[in-house]
Amino acid sequence: MDPSLYLDRDTWVHRLDPRTKMFLLIGAFVLAFIFLDPLYELVVLALVLIFGYMAKSLENLRRIWFILLAVGLLTLVLWSLVGGGRTPLFLFVELESVLYGLSIALRIDTTIIAGVIFLSTTRNEEVAIGLVKLGIPYRFAFAVTTALRLVPTIASTGFTISQAQRSRGLDLDSGNILQRTRKYVPLLVPVFVTTIRSTNVFSMALESKGFGAGGKRTFYLRTALGGRDVVVLVVFVVLLAASVALRVAGYGTLEGFSG
Amino acid sequence: MKEIFTMWRHTQMVVLVALSAAIYAAILIPFKGFPIIPGAVEIRPANVIPFVVGLLFGPAGAWGSAIGNLIGDFFGTLSPGSIGGFVGNFFLALLPYKLWGAYFRRDENSEPNMDSGKKLVVYIAIAVLASLVCSGIISWWVALLQIFPFVPVLILIVVNNAIMGVILGPILLRLIYPRVKRWGLLWTEIMEPEEVSASRLQSTGNILVWVGGVGAVVTGLILGTTGAAPAGLGIGLALLPFLILVVVGSFMLGGREQVEALEEEMAAEESRA
Repeated sequence: MDPSLYLDRDTWVHRLDPRTKMFLLIGAFVLAFIFLDPLYELVVLALVLIFGYMAKSLENLRRIWFILLAVGLLTLVLWSLVGGGRTPLFLFVELESVLYGLSIALRIDTTIIAGVIFLSTTRNEEVAIGLVKLGIPYRFAFAVTTALRLVPTIASTGFTISQAQRSRGLDLDSGNILQRTRKYVPLLVPVFVTTIRSTNVFSMALESKGFGAGGKRTFYLRTALGGRDVVVLVVFVVLLAASVALRVAGYGTLEGFSG
Repeated sequence: MKEIFTMWRHTQMVVLVALSAAIYAAILIPFKGFPIIPGAVEIRPANVIPFVVGLLFGPAGAWGSAIGNLIGDFFGTLSPGSIGGFVGNFFLALLPYKLWGAYFRRDENSEPNMDSGKKLVVYIAIAVLASLVCSGIISWWVALLQIFPFVPVLILIVVNNAIMGVILGPILLRLIYPRVKRWGLLWTEIMEPEEVSASRLQSTGNILVWVGGVGAVVTGLILGTTGAAPAGLGIGLALLPFLILVVVGSFMLGGREQVEALEEEMAAEESRA
């Protein structure tokens, strides 16, 4: 099992400075939250998908198609049942609540896809440098990126432990979701102990290499905001401003919905 | 609460943050495929981890839970809602170690190894309260963003967290605590007393956290089901005072006494030896 989403492709999106990609990610979140009309949300989703296509990252969506589909369907159903509106559609469901559910489903899918594109185009090391250059303390950035890097290792350890337990007769594949969940419980202790046991060795290895020695840190990987970053940022800021202006002018709203 | 900042001085605590986060995320990710409310709530046996790492690693566990939940979101559900998840999971692990010390006298054995009925009862009470607070924070945030209906998210997070924490937590702590103590990785062993804030009116702080946690959920349920407050900003403003109470109470609970108690216990053991 490899949970890492990074795709090593040679695209202009991959070559952007990590700070630019972080700004684009946050900007995509903002963009998805500006409109309430499903049609406008569809346009935002299309823009994000086009960006993902240019970044050659859309293949990762196959890994989360189930989540995206479930988001679409269940959010639509939930808001249709919980929300209210003016135009009766069927039984106690109103048209506006269905449209609102559709809009929110598209909004969540858009933000999830934007997150996947960010992780498909940004390495852990770039995330760390990006965070530090944005003013986040190095030790915090180190913890985040180390955790990101360790997830596949720990997942692999869990897989090995589960294989060992299977060989002793543990059946992890049968039963409903709750029964299967319970069967994973005996795996938690060895995974936890195996991982935490390395803390002291890990700490000594870090300190022997100067972790916490003070002074300004330098990085092997160098990143800098270049002309491409500036162009992308300017285009995106204009897009955001135009979207806000449209919303202020009364476009992209949803009349008649009551939460 | 100064220990949540001073802990970053210790390399061991930094490593514990990373390892706690990685464990939490590594157990969360396989269950991304079983969402209850997609993008917000899944079946999460991993939810026992914040209680355990909170009690064992203190502030490192709190940061680890927050970061682990965020990393879990990176693998399929990253959205603006993740900010609420970060803060909610931080408190899910912060409150257990903050509150734990409020229920034991200084001369009483307060090791969270679940070897007595009192410890079990205190753990269950704390796990339920931390689940209420975590749910209150996340629901409050998603209510402000209006991305999910408030009441279902509130109920599901409370139930999901509390069940996993109450059922699995005592077993894990009983099995894991002796090993962690033997390796010298308890937060009370790594941190110095002066790096941890002392409690001020601890009992009052305890009450404030309870009032804030229970109040946020009960008020949220009443407002959400009766429609007495408009969704979004209405519910958001109504719950804000309760969440502030939780934060204020957490400041008052301190934690230095737990570090000092362990130091005294270790000194006594050395003198006996």
